Amino acid sequence: MTAAATEMRTPVKQSRFMRRALPYILSLPALLMCIGILIPFFTAVYYSMLRYRMNLPAMKGFIWFQNYVNFFTDPKFWNTVYISLTYAFLTVVLELLLGLGIALLLQRPSRFNNIASILLLLPLMTAPALAALMWKLMTHPDFGVLSYLLTLVGIHDFKWASNPDTALFTVVLVDMWVYTPFIMILLLAGLRSLPKAPFEAAALDGVPRSFVFFRITLPMLMPYIITATLFRLLDSIQQFDIIYAMTQGGPGDKLLVFQVQAYLDFFQATNVGRSAALMVILWAITYALSNVFIKQWLKLRERAHGAH
Amino acid sequence: MFEKEKGLFDAFVAKKISRREVINGAGKLGLSASAAGMFLTQAQTRAMAADFDWMKYKGTKLKLLLNKHPYADAMIANIQAFKDMTGMDVSWDIFPEDVYFDKVTAALSSGSTEYDAFMTGAYMTWTYGPAGWITDLNEFIKDPAKTNPNYNWDDVLPGLRASTSWNGVPGGELGSADAKQWCIPWGFELNNISYNKKMFDKVGVQPPKNIGEMIEVSAKLTKDLGGPYGIGVRGSRSWATIHPGFLSGYANFGEKDFNVADGKLKAAMNSAGSKSYHKDWVKMIQDSGPKNWSTYTWYQVGTDLGAGASAMIFDADILGYFMNGGDNKEAGNLGYAPFAANPAAAAPTPNVWIWSLAMNNAGTQKDATWYFLQWATSTEHDLFGARKMDFVNPVRASVWKDDEFRARIDKSYPGYLNQYEVSAPGAKIYFTAQPLFFDLTTLWAENLQKMVAKEINVDEGLDAMAAEMDKKLSEAGLG
Amino acid sequence: MDHSSSLEKLLRSVAITLVLVFFLFPIVWIFLMSLQTNETILRIPPSIAFTPIIDNYTALITGQLRTAAGSLQLNFMQNMFNSVLLSVCSVALSLVLGVPAAYAFARFKFRLGEDIAFTLLSFRFAPALLVLLPLSLYFKTLGLTNTYIGLIWVYQLICLPLILWIVRGYFEDISPDIEHAYRIAGNSWWRTFTRISIPLAKPGIAAAGLLAFIFAWNNFVFALILASADKQPVTVGALAFVTASGIQYGQIAAAIIISITPTLALALYAQRYLVEGLSMGAVKG
Repeated sequence: MTAAATEMRTPVKQSRFMRRALPYILSLPALLMCIGILIPFFTAVYYSMLRYRMNLPAMKGFIWFQNYVNFFTDPKFWNTVYISLTYAFLTVVLELLLGLGIALLLQRPSRFNNIASILLLLPLMTAPALAALMWKLMTHPDFGVLSYLLTLVGIHDFKWASNPDTALFTVVLVDMWVYTPFIMILLLAGLRSLPKAPFEAAALDGVPRSFVFFRITLPMLMPYIITATLFRLLDSIQQFDIIYAMTQGGPGDKLLVFQVQAYLDFFQATNVGRSAALMVILWAITYALSNVFIKQWLKLRERAHGAH
Repeated sequence: MFEKEKGLFDAFVAKKISRREVINGAGKLGLSASAAGMFLTQAQTRAMAADFDWMKYKGTKLKLLLNKHPYADAMIANIQAFKDMTGMDVSWDIFPEDVYFDKVTAALSSGSTEYDAFMTGAYMTWTYGPAGWITDLNEFIKDPAKTNPNYNWDDVLPGLRASTSWNGVPGGELGSADAKQWCIPWGFELNNISYNKKMFDKVGVQPPKNIGEMIEVSAKLTKDLGGPYGIGVRGSRSWATIHPGFLSGYANFGEKDFNVADGKLKAAMNSAGSKSYHKDWVKMIQDSGPKNWSTYTWYQVGTDLGAGASAMIFDADILGYFMNGGDNKEAGNLGYAPFAANPAAAAPTPNVWIWSLAMNNAGTQKDATWYFLQWATSTEHDLFGARKMDFVNPVRASVWKDDEFRARIDKSYPGYLNQYEVSAPGAKIYFTAQPLFFDLTTLWAENLQKMVAKEINVDEGLDAMAAEMDKKLSEAGLG
Repeated sequence: MDHSSSLEKLLRSVAITLVLVFFLFPIVWIFLMSLQTNETILRIPPSIAFTPIIDNYTALITGQLRTAAGSLQLNFMQNMFNSVLLSVCSVALSLVLGVPAAYAFARFKFRLGEDIAFTLLSFRFAPALLVLLPLSLYFKTLGLTNTYIGLIWVYQLICLPLILWIVRGYFEDISPDIEHAYRIAGNSWWRTFTRISIPLAKPGIAAAGLLAFIFAWNNFVFALILASADKQPVTVGALAFVTASGIQYGQIAAAIIISITPTLALALYAQRYLVEGLSMGAVKG
């Protein structure tokens, strides 16, 4: 940085070398800090090609892609893919809609709105593993305050996470409670940093509000929406804490998402090969999804900057 | 210490006189109760120290990995006695039960030398043993140079000694002649009935004697109490749902999880007897089990009993024990009864959970670690924990004969000693020891959930489950 | 948006009330539980009539838990200290590394730029479980097992991608013209970056830093696997009340309330920067 600080006084005269090197100087430390993680990552990819169960050491051997091939013919695996994607889709879409709605409600800066937006972060601040324990108690048929409130409106014996028909609903509800604030706060910060000029012009011209929202607010907010959705999607498809604490993947195999299955394979069955293969598949799915998102994000950015 | 007092306490430790005589004698000698307790500890130390060089590893530092549990609390309360006797230092890491075994697996699988010994359940040693993570303790127990002459290994209940030893062969009988002692039993739970006496009196029923009665009594309790449900059992998607009440009753009908022939395993859950037992069990939960059954783990089963939401549980006896104290609403109202599911069975056959101590195979000071293990599993420490702390159920036969312990239990836990004595002879692990234990038992729980939710029919469900298990066994080279 | 009808105002108020109730009712309920023993928490039906006690808090803070079985030692405050240390250091390091990198990706188009940015993001989607076992082996080799440094390094996987990608968006929204103007006035690049670019992106940096802090705070898998009991965060500390002799709901609730306090304080402090967003809007492209 000393070189940058003592360099010549105008950008025009900045040395060619500095101009070319600067972005690397700025970004490489971050990359180097994380690159070490690639070694364990590749080790894990190697494990995924082993028949490797720690309590059957004699069976250990290199089997190429056999672990993967086994998955593709296993209906339980496809159930896991299905339920993980369903869960991720439901939580992300619902949280996005709700988070956007709340951000719009709190958009105008006022003391009340500012404090409310911070208080709404409280669920996010509660560790999901503990939050799930509390939800489990609140949905208890006898001691649970939520079950009790339901009886007041005439719904008796609602079985929440223990019924195969309502288990998904229940964990999605808890996920929404915990993570909607994440999307809300990012979109709120985004909304508040949008330039005022286009909105003032539209107000002067008497443009209908729905038009303003869909043609001005939403497009301008889109990069923020994509970032928030991307991060939420990455976490949601890898959800573990809430589902494991609420149902351990049950009832039956209703909520047996990737992480729960891989956790059981690894920590209980010590089936390292199978668990690693499952995780690599999950990694590939998230990789593909994020690629799509990032491409879209860059395209939007390009367009936004073209409009300057 | 004065000779007269010394003689008195030594006589007690040698079981020549009873506790009451000691206290009376101590009173006559003008000792306060606390001083008497202190002298007793010293006497224990002296008794153990006879003919054995406890100071051999003086200065050695040991580190333990412990689960947050009353057994660990009892050990910590008494650890000074060990430190004084051996001159060793002991430290420990305690992790919550929720994450404890994850920590153990992580530490052992990475070959960590940090921990010398750790708490484990017997089932876990079916993984840790074959993986090479724990040491066969027979090489210590059977070596008189390493084990003090008063250790009295045979005092540990035979069913527990057998259940913690396995030859490592999939399907191999527990406690066989060639078995390795993977861990030392420390404290254990057997599965019987704990029930709310007030509720039973109100409805006018007695603790059930077999599965048919259990279904009836639970249904009657559910109906007549108008709020609390009849029978609390676990139901979460975990192997832990199968191992307490469910398997105890299952074994009482002589049903097995696997058949072993020519070294090959074959799932046995689809026999006619098994199907009929599954049907009873499923009906019982549907009629009078917890409403949120499929999320129920041990603490919810216990909490409901303690808070008066359920009238009875068929689960670990010590779960009922703990619910009869503390700030539980129903503390003082609970009773205990043995339970044999099969009307034709002579006695109960409770499956057991055994908290044990095992030695890290990667540990670097095994001989010193064994000193700790033999102290922590000694009669003296077992007695201390059973009398003064919640170190129940003790694993040594001699402790169950101790008057003070018996008096303490009998006073506050009516029926507890009886349920233990009636079922102790049949108490052991009824699972087949094999490497796929956790996968397949969790699969069993998953199918039980589907049956209770009426997603699958019991007969077809069990056939399909057995076929799936056989496939997994053969993939692993076991079936 | 200033000419809203009174009907709309009413609908807005109703909507905000519903939102606050949904998100805050469980928190309020947890707070109420933290002032009770199991005996009053576990009532049928649940009730809000109880005599509040602060025993759960005193037990957590003094480290003495009195139970039927006697007095037990707790180290919840040590867990708190660990959480604060790990989260603060991890976020600080992530900001130092992530903000300049975010700026580079936003301002410059350079060879491999997008690849590096995407690689950094991809660390976020490597499932923790996938890398944990190899990581614990390598940590042993490197001597990083059971060190704060090692944990802070691993926490970068949680914090860095989040900060980088959120802050990048904010930098992209700042018009380069302002920076150009300042540089032409004779200021160095570094001065421009610290005096103009960073202050303009403050709302984004505050939001990203806050969220990264929360995610670091709530993580416990890394510490559980890679460190001993004395370096465990609050989540592990709170799980200690799920014991073999019963679950202590009151203490878990109190632990939750204590554990969200520092984060809440940080959020209230960061809020002033989040608000600045609007005033900054005027200078953006």
